[in-house]
Amino acid sequence: MASKPVWEQIGAGFVQHYYQQFDSDRTKLADLYTDASCLTWEGVGFQGHKAIMEKITSLPFQSIQHSITAQDHQPTPDSCVMSMVMGQLKADTDQVMGFQQTFLLKNVDNKWICTNDMFRLALHNFGA
Amino acid sequence: MGEKPIWEQIGSSFVQHYYQLFDTDRTQLGAIYIDASCLTWEGQQFQGKAAIVEKLSTLPFLKIAHSITAQDHQPTPDSCIMSMVVGQLKADEDPIMGFHQSFILKNINDAWVCTNDMFRLALHNFG
Repeated sequence: MASKPVWEQIGAGFVQHYYQQFDSDRTKLADLYTDASCLTWEGVGFQGHKAIMEKITSLPFQSIQHSITAQDHQPTPDSCVMSMVMGQLKADTDQVMGFQQTFLLKNVDNKWICTNDMFRLALHNFGA
Repeated sequence: MGEKPIWEQIGSSFVQHYYQLFDTDRTQLGAIYIDASCLTWEGQQFQGKAAIVEKLSTLPFLKIAHSITAQDHQPTPDSCIMSMVVGQLKADEDPIMGFHQSFILKNINDAWVCTNDMFRLALHNFG
């Protein structure tokens, strides 16, 4: 069986780690962002490590669980990895909701960090 | 009222152009891709302009209409632009379905081309 392309391994590895951290202790996501990182959370932009971590840690729920339905990964021309995730999440006792998230990962000093992160709840979509 | 950041202008202009072309004549989308472009369509990978245009041109519907619910744009460290679109589409007489699409745009010789494109139907999400 052929081995997955390296960008898929990196992307899938990151995605697994990201949601595992998010669901168990999202303060630990700090390692994944730098001062050059951008987050757009439900249409609102946050620039830099500090602002991003402040947003993530102050999200108004105590427990959260993500479940990934699909993920795609591609190499970019500048040697980054782009990942798109589609899934469902449940915050506290709220109903299950769909979400979409896209990441851009860059290798900086031998570590893959997230330079771009966009999250939206899939509130306007509905299945057939 | 402040002006939108340049990456938002470029991103939203690209998105508008992309779906307009897609809905009227998707064979013309070739112009936005290059040989280094990648498309992932419902989990399947296509590499390079020719393969991408072939996939898009042979999608099994006659009419398609996209409606954008939300779009986000960001500048990337390598001077590219990343765009994420959430919307709905209707192909022929099929029921309306949600979709997700993400792009990376790069400026090559003064033209913004799409180097990365990922599309998925939102079959598992619900409002």
